[in-house]
Amino acid sequence: MSTGESEERGGRLRSIVPPDRVEWLFDVCGTHGWKLLLVATVLGALPPLVGLEDGYYMTVVTEMYLFAILALSWDIIGGQTGYPSFGNMAFFGIGAYTTAILVKDFAVGFPIAMVAAGLLAVTFATVIGAVVLRLRGHYFAIATLGVLLAAQQVSRNLDITGGASGKILFDVPDASTFYYLFLGVLVAEVALVYYLSNTRFGFVLNAIRDDEEKATAMGFNTTYYKTVAWMLSALFTGLAGGGYSLLNTFLNPQTAYNGSWNVELIAMALMGGSGTVAGPVVGAFGLHTVIEYVERAFVGWQLVVLGAAIVVTVVSFPDGVVGTLREYASEMTYYERGGMAATDGDDAEVTGDE
Amino acid sequence: MAITQFIVNGLLIGALFAGIAVGFALIWGVVDIINLAHGEMVMLGGYVSFWLLTVATGSTDASPTVFLATVPVAIAVLFVVGYALQRTLVQRVIGTDIFLTLLVTFGISIAIQQLAIQAWTANPRSIQTSFADPSMTVAGLTVPKMKLLAFAGALVLTAVLYAFLQRTRTGRAIRGVAQNPEAAELVGIDVEHTRAVTFGISSGIAGGIGAFVAAILTIDPQMGLIYTLKSFVIVVFGGVGSIPGAMVGGLLLGSVEELTAGLVSSRWTLAVSFTLLIVLLVVKPNGLFGEGADQ
Repeated sequence: MSTGESEERGGRLRSIVPPDRVEWLFDVCGTHGWKLLLVATVLGALPPLVGLEDGYYMTVVTEMYLFAILALSWDIIGGQTGYPSFGNMAFFGIGAYTTAILVKDFAVGFPIAMVAAGLLAVTFATVIGAVVLRLRGHYFAIATLGVLLAAQQVSRNLDITGGASGKILFDVPDASTFYYLFLGVLVAEVALVYYLSNTRFGFVLNAIRDDEEKATAMGFNTTYYKTVAWMLSALFTGLAGGGYSLLNTFLNPQTAYNGSWNVELIAMALMGGSGTVAGPVVGAFGLHTVIEYVERAFVGWQLVVLGAAIVVTVVSFPDGVVGTLREYASEMTYYERGGMAATDGDDAEVTGDE
Repeated sequence: MAITQFIVNGLLIGALFAGIAVGFALIWGVVDIINLAHGEMVMLGGYVSFWLLTVATGSTDASPTVFLATVPVAIAVLFVVGYALQRTLVQRVIGTDIFLTLLVTFGISIAIQQLAIQAWTANPRSIQTSFADPSMTVAGLTVPKMKLLAFAGALVLTAVLYAFLQRTRTGRAIRGVAQNPEAAELVGIDVEHTRAVTFGISSGIAGGIGAFVAAILTIDPQMGLIYTLKSFVIVVFGGVGSIPGAMVGGLLLGSVEELTAGLVSSRWTLAVSFTLLIVLLVVKPNGLFGEGADQ
């Protein structure tokens, strides 16, 4: 919440963390992105090696990785491409049921089941995408929410999914497997999104978000780009789901297609700063910590807190942590280059990449 | 015969869906917000009526007249709730990104939901109305009297809203703001106030119908989302900004659901309605009566 104070244009904060310092930080992150990712990966891989194998905090950290994957996946389609998906958890559910069914009923190995989970989620996304990606804005949002609820009802009614009572899984891999699994998927996804953010592909996605008609007019096959973005989003969400069912050892339609998780992950991406690489990850770590605390401290009130947190963030900091910081950082440039006169040119440059 | 019976049941329920959807469409058209907390207004209206009866008479059984007396209270309470929500929260995100508007209303929705669970537990509740003869038979079709009453109530509320929008000064202001907020402001309409009144009226009607829902079905804190989604299906079907369209859409959705429940199984109603929605969005994005809900 320290970003809130920067909004007040207060002098005190300004002297402690001057905008040019923040800008310098962004510059460092921008030029050394790969090194930072490597350092973060090594740091992330350490805890189990030094003996912190299980226990409550490891579970929390594993879940943080899981939510970071989900939030970043949502951001590929929601933040980068501008399609507000309220149905991403459908991919999660499909991935989760795939591994659960394959591992339990068909005795397939866990790694193969994971691959199947990812592939099935992507296939489903391709089919659904052919229909829903024709819609925009509110229509897209509600149609995807409809897909989520319909998928939930289908899995409640089928026999293979165990119906409403769900599936209980035994003989699951140990906790550190999942720790590394989610860390690995997260790192792969961050690397991919970071790489794409500086490629033609990433720019076209942003162009679709800003003005799809113009992007089409410039000769881009927007259907292709947004379908691929949607499939990528589904792939990582499906993998996360595939891991989750075995981590949780229990799966039913309510947990697999969890509508409030879908909102949570949108809130995470938005709070961190949607449309950036680090934003959704930061938001996921931050909000999950808060939710975890609230769930322990105020049992039964977590959704009230979540709802209030979402409303406050959206109303006060629609750009999220990263976006607000970046705006703060660019203030200095703004004055150095002569205020209003120079804003048009350098705006694009400052907000260009992570 | 069975099919006719399903359709009759569907029409009776469908009028309630339509009444709820009309308010949803009104907020969408005038304030340009998809109000994901609309279903919560139905839920709260149901609880207002339920608790009023419980506190006043000491039981959840009520004669139809006593029950009907609680409906205006539910409408009034929800009008205030809607007005306040618009003034304090929703107003701040009008005209921004759609994520933001959707998230704010969703945030409101889940917060209200869980507050309701905390206050009243998650148990489903309902109001029992005591008719001497609970149902009547017309041409071989069974019509429960309470459902008929709810049907009539929903139609009356919708008709009153329609007349209000067409005839009164405030109604004309609302339509003016829907068409062009800047121009409305120029001719002296208080746009913010008008939007809040719209939000209040829509919530009020949803609350009034919520009372009927409590009397013919059940209410529970988590029922809201389904009603919001049904409203969306209906509005998309009828076309944004068309009250007759919403009416037809509601009756049709009710019939389709009852037919699915009767002929297949009630477990598939949601999947069927949403498949219908998606097909409709793709085939006929402007709805049956819409004046063009472009993108």
